[in-house]
Amino acid sequence: MTLRRAATILLLLMPGLGLILALIGAVVYIAVAQSFGLYSLMGESAFSLAFWSDTMGKKAFDKAVRYSIYVGVLSAIFSVILAYPLAIWLRKPFAGSVTIGAVLKAPLLVHGLVAAFLYINIISYNGLLNQVMQGLGIWDGPKRLQNDRNAIGVLILQTWKNMPFALLLLTGAVQAISDDVLDAARDLGAGSWARFRKVIAPLTVSGLQAAMVIIFIGALADFSFQTIAGPTNRQSLAQLMVNFKGRGDWHSAAVVGVSMMAIALIGSALLAVAARMIMRGRLK
Amino acid sequence: MTRARLNKILMSLVIGAAFLWLLIPFTMAVLWSLVDPSEPWTADQLLPPAMSFYRWTDMWQNSSLKPALVTSYALAPTAAVLTLCLALPTAYALGRYEFPGRELAKTLCLLPLVVPAFITAIFFSSILFQLGLAGNRFAAIVFAHAVLFLPYAIRILTVSFEQVRQDHIDAARDLGATPLARFRVAFVPALKPGISATLLIVFIQSIEEFAIAFIIGSPDVVTIPTLLYSALGQDFVRPNAAVLSLILVVPNVFLMLILERLMKSANPALSSGKG
Amino acid sequence: MGAIRISGVTKSFGEFQALSSISLEVAQGEFVTLLGPSGCGKTTLLKIISGFIEPTDGQIEIGGENVTRLPPEQRDTALCFQSYALFPHLTVRENLEFGLRQKKLGRDEIASRVRDVSTKLELAAQMDKLPNQLSGGQQQRVSLGRALVMRPSVILFDEPLSNLDAKLRDQVRIEIRRIQKDYDLTAIYVTHDQAEALAMSDRVVVLNQGRAEQIDTPERLYAAPATSFVADFIGSANVMEGTVLSADGAGLCTVETPIGVLEAKDAGVPPGAIRRLSWRPEKAQIGEPGLTATVTHRAFQGHFTDLTVDTGGTLYRVQTGRDDIREGDGITFALRPADIVFLEAVG
Repeated sequence: MTLRRAATILLLLMPGLGLILALIGAVVYIAVAQSFGLYSLMGESAFSLAFWSDTMGKKAFDKAVRYSIYVGVLSAIFSVILAYPLAIWLRKPFAGSVTIGAVLKAPLLVHGLVAAFLYINIISYNGLLNQVMQGLGIWDGPKRLQNDRNAIGVLILQTWKNMPFALLLLTGAVQAISDDVLDAARDLGAGSWARFRKVIAPLTVSGLQAAMVIIFIGALADFSFQTIAGPTNRQSLAQLMVNFKGRGDWHSAAVVGVSMMAIALIGSALLAVAARMIMRGRLK
Repeated sequence: MTRARLNKILMSLVIGAAFLWLLIPFTMAVLWSLVDPSEPWTADQLLPPAMSFYRWTDMWQNSSLKPALVTSYALAPTAAVLTLCLALPTAYALGRYEFPGRELAKTLCLLPLVVPAFITAIFFSSILFQLGLAGNRFAAIVFAHAVLFLPYAIRILTVSFEQVRQDHIDAARDLGATPLARFRVAFVPALKPGISATLLIVFIQSIEEFAIAFIIGSPDVVTIPTLLYSALGQDFVRPNAAVLSLILVVPNVFLMLILERLMKSANPALSSGKG
Repeated sequence: MGAIRISGVTKSFGEFQALSSISLEVAQGEFVTLLGPSGCGKTTLLKIISGFIEPTDGQIEIGGENVTRLPPEQRDTALCFQSYALFPHLTVRENLEFGLRQKKLGRDEIASRVRDVSTKLELAAQMDKLPNQLSGGQQQRVSLGRALVMRPSVILFDEPLSNLDAKLRDQVRIEIRRIQKDYDLTAIYVTHDQAEALAMSDRVVVLNQGRAEQIDTPERLYAAPATSFVADFIGSANVMEGTVLSADGAGLCTVETPIGVLEAKDAGVPPGAIRRLSWRPEKAQIGEPGLTATVTHRAFQGHFTDLTVDTGGTLYRVQTGRDDIREGDGITFALRPADIVFLEAVG
């Protein structure tokens, strides 16, 4: 490659990729630097580990880490567990399969905040669910379902919003397996479960990994579902970070932000490895 | 056959579930947006006792809905055009040149999708403060949106550039076409659907984006999602939130359906999720 | 006792009749080919035998057991796919072991069967490779090996050679037949290539539009096709119509045809009947007196020459070892009574 050609390519990459690297690089750099007390917006800038030890010592931080991991992991698992059978079912087109695919993917078109509103509308104290349960005589009086302690509301919303995404990726992966390969497995004596375990699962593992990692990161960093439908006695990492920032405590916000990125990175790697080990159960 | 029966049962199950998770919630939202304030809709009634468009006209006249609409619908096309301009050179390089590290460059382009939006939002605002630019909220949001949505644009346009056929270019040259004529005959047809898809996807994403608009925009710049967020939070009035939800979701559903069409012609692999 | 008995198998997809009442019995160790053009139903029949398609009507027995309603995973058949259908995520060894593990065979039994087949197919050096690291011919052998290790009652081949180049095809063809004999396997082989069918098979089933036109040995199919479809599909015979005039009672009869009155062997066709007749291009006795014709086209093929000749306004194909005949030449030729075959009745 000539120098001139290399220069042309670099120049072309500048406004797009260059800008992405500059902005994301700067954001990550500032977050890390501020977590160590640098680039202070209020007082003195000086390198210090105090913000890390302070924030990590706080009970709220500890709770937020656990809570966000809980929401992230469960959302990813629920979404793919629901999406897998649907993807296999929709592998071959049949009468009505297009409509079903469209209905299943419809939540992709609905904004998260709108979804949250629709959800609390249904489960609110005088909402439809309470009405129905009382009408059927199952519940004696209306129950308080909003902002439940176990974040079931958040998990339902995350799954509602992310299952279609997992379905999209998994349908692609499942459809890429040729009919002949599945027929060959059948011909060699593999029943439905063996075909799933030994052929479909190992061949779709990369689609599964992609879906799980992206859903995990999104749910781990969730802010809006948490503030609207989540439990009031604990905060998600994003919520904690926004609160610190709102109080002008940029350095603590940075500690939370950097922790969130680290958890996203490590968590994604662990999830990807776990998915691979479970799904790739090779013939042994 | 048993498989056909199984399919029927599954289909009715899915349609029943879809009824629960789509139709009922949206019907409720529509009904709530029509509740007339003269008589509240209490839990013992199946339908609102009095229905009118009062909430809609009231929201239009007496809330920040109008400025939010103006902001959102000014922001989105500006960001879309800016993203397109920024993405074109990179997509050209990735789609038309072979060079070492090309796959790595493609992967790096996806970075903004991996870093959580609130982290980008907060520390971008921190950078703006450091640089003393925090006052230009609108411009800052446009810029952040443009960069954040570059991955979609670059991905779509790279495929479009890859689809430009070298034999078309060569044929045009062979027939004595000028560079401009060559561009028009070989590039434009292949790029058109990709450009439309890019503009549309960035438009939709920008209208829906919450984190950046919320962190950088508040308190002066209000977009529809931030307005809805506050309507769901501290000033929760259910009928008002219903009106805002419908304003946010309905136009976007139509835009998304157009986008799906465009994506199919621009990039069959992407729309089926095999990208 | 037949290893496979197919009785009255019919399959329709909605209005479309893919197979109409096919019956066939295959003996233990026999190699039977299903031959026909695309869309004739040969693959449908293979899939019915292997269990992937359920017949609308009729019955399949394997080894005396009725398997018509048995799913493929429970049938003692092994299928070699046209696309090979190797598991892309498994090594050659794991591909070979796949079916044996499903059968829950013991470790030693699996190892010995895999070793035996891999040696026979010369795959020993490839055992730890993934399918995409193999050549087309090697993949083909793995696909064959994966079926062989199962020691099935019936091995089924779905156009296994169509993805190989011509030279390799001849070689694998011989290899398949050798292995089939070695293991004394009952084989059903699907192909659209008549040369392949003639070269490999003990018997051939010629299928056309879902019907079995003829089930016979390759030699009989060639020498005595039953229908004009078979005559034309196998070795492209000349087909014409003829009216039987009279029989002489001594084994010969006379037939009136578009090229003149010919003598043919008496096949018991009553005088006055109109039948289709066929004769092979290479059976024309060129230079003998009898029929006159003009050469309209000549194609030199090496060991023979293909001629298109015009006889009374109709074109026929003849072949000769002579290479001195040119386009435009007038020739004479004769047909021996034994070389004229009666086909189906006209109308």
